Amino acid sequence: MCKPKEHIFISFIWLKFAEKIVDPNPLISLLTHLMANSLRLYLTCIRNTLEAALCLQNFPCQEVERHNKPEVELKTSPELLLNPVMICRNEAEKCLIETSINSLRISLKVKQADELENILTKKFLRFLSMRAEAFQVLRRKPVQGYDISFLITNYHCEEMQKQKLIDFIVQFMEDIDKEISELKLSMNTRGRLVATEFLKQFI
Amino acid sequence: MACFERASPALREILLKIHRAERPVEIDYHVHEFGSVHYHVQCSASDPHCAYLSLSTPLLSRGLTFSSHLPEHILETVNGVFPRIIETIEPSQEGYQLTLKLDFSRIPHSKASTKIITEISSVRAVILSSHLKEILTKVDSNGMYKPIKLVYRPSEPFFLIKQQAKITAVFPMRFKENEDVVIATSFFQELADVGNSEKCRKAPRCIWSPIPPPELRGESIEDLCTNCGFVTFDITSRHVEGKNLDKTVWNLLNFYTFVKYYVKSTRGFIQRRMRLRLEKLIRPLHDDVDVDQEDRRPEKKAKGCKRVKKWINASKSKIVRKRRKLMNKIKRIRFRIKIHSFVGRFRRRWLKLPKFSRVTRYIKLE
Repeated sequence: MCKPKEHIFISFIWLKFAEKIVDPNPLISLLTHLMANSLRLYLTCIRNTLEAALCLQNFPCQEVERHNKPEVELKTSPELLLNPVMICRNEAEKCLIETSINSLRISLKVKQADELENILTKKFLRFLSMRAEAFQVLRRKPVQGYDISFLITNYHCEEMQKQKLIDFIVQFMEDIDKEISELKLSMNTRGRLVATEFLKQFI
Repeated sequence: MACFERASPALREILLKIHRAERPVEIDYHVHEFGSVHYHVQCSASDPHCAYLSLSTPLLSRGLTFSSHLPEHILETVNGVFPRIIETIEPSQEGYQLTLKLDFSRIPHSKASTKIITEISSVRAVILSSHLKEILTKVDSNGMYKPIKLVYRPSEPFFLIKQQAKITAVFPMRFKENEDVVIATSFFQELADVGNSEKCRKAPRCIWSPIPPPELRGESIEDLCTNCGFVTFDITSRHVEGKNLDKTVWNLLNFYTFVKYYVKSTRGFIQRRMRLRLEKLIRPLHDDVDVDQEDRRPEKKAKGCKRVKKWINASKSKIVRKRRKLMNKIKRIRFRIKIHSFVGRFRRRWLKLPKFSRVTRYIKLE
């Protein structure tokens, strides 16, 4: 399997070859392709890591008798924790996967290109966190340095299908990115329409 | 909700009510608008054709000093709207800047009456616009002046700068919340884009800049400190010709309100979108749980053959014992010689225990 850099290089060469045959606007096409490719790689990497990490089992708390707590949150017994995995697409977009014997925590940092995206992301993710009970696996407060966190316990895995849980996380990541871009676009379109109407009043 | 109409809707309703009343009515209404505008409408049953309208409103002024009396030229403008119907009362009612006597007998009872009453209801707009109109009509005059600071609300001053063949209106924009600043900034960028496009070439040229324009050099630091930059409109003679003057003046006066209304409605728009999106995001997770439950449900429902299930659940030794029992039963059924009720009779005759009598009991000898 090739590394991401090699992969991008290979796709670049392939596109250089392809542009001569088909595409009239090669640079835009190349950029779009690279962006889509890097997102796909990023999501595939997260999916594979989650598939490996989601092998949770019931495990009672070692500290308190007759208690069953997510070890990834307590972190009282190091022997029950696995090494955390951080997957980065770039500096602004990363994902931290922390695993323990009975629970798994995924923290996401969503890209924020400008002030507007920053505000929209914060607003949207806060809105979702406040309705965490609807998601079951969503954490009310994100881990420090991240925008949103999920906590999956062995009970969630028993209740839901593992594969579908992974699908949900990956789909959620895709949807958040898409929604913020759409929201930004529709806000700008709305602003342009209002501005046009305002200026038309002078004429 | 923001009201961008020139006429006050509440005042228009009251005046229409007086005008359309078939019987003489006694009216004494106080109407408050936008926190600072105050109307007082009086009409007595003894004189039904006559009503008194008093008005108190903050005025567009230069600086922070607000005058309690209207200047002469404004009074003349108000009187000039409908000279036969409106009459200014001097001195005005206590606590109000202007008192008008309205003669309803001179308003015709036709469709035109609504138009006249709407015009009377826009008396506040007439008062506010008159000062700005006066400045804007001097666009063509030569010479450059210092920036004129106009204040309607203390927190929202704006500047008019006379330049060659144009007047520049500069709005320093301030917002309390960071979120509002970002939304407004994106709107100003769009406004500047649209203002410079071919589509709106007849509209005033619009510029947004995060730093104060050079024309405002020398103004106080307080006025130049903003968190959302400066919006500039270049008003040329085209924009103050005929009917355009009223529109231009009203748009400039309402610019702050317009932007604030846009920001507020955009926040609502974002909230609506997020609410919709939430449902879509949750759906796959709930579908997943539903599918799981559906997968389990048939297991509970389809119990199958009771005996087969018992047989599956039983242990090996149990199965062997059951099988032996079954074989014995079959053997007994298939046994050729059948003696009906043999066992019972045999037991009764041969295995019966003798009855022993008590020792204390005697048999009577004969």
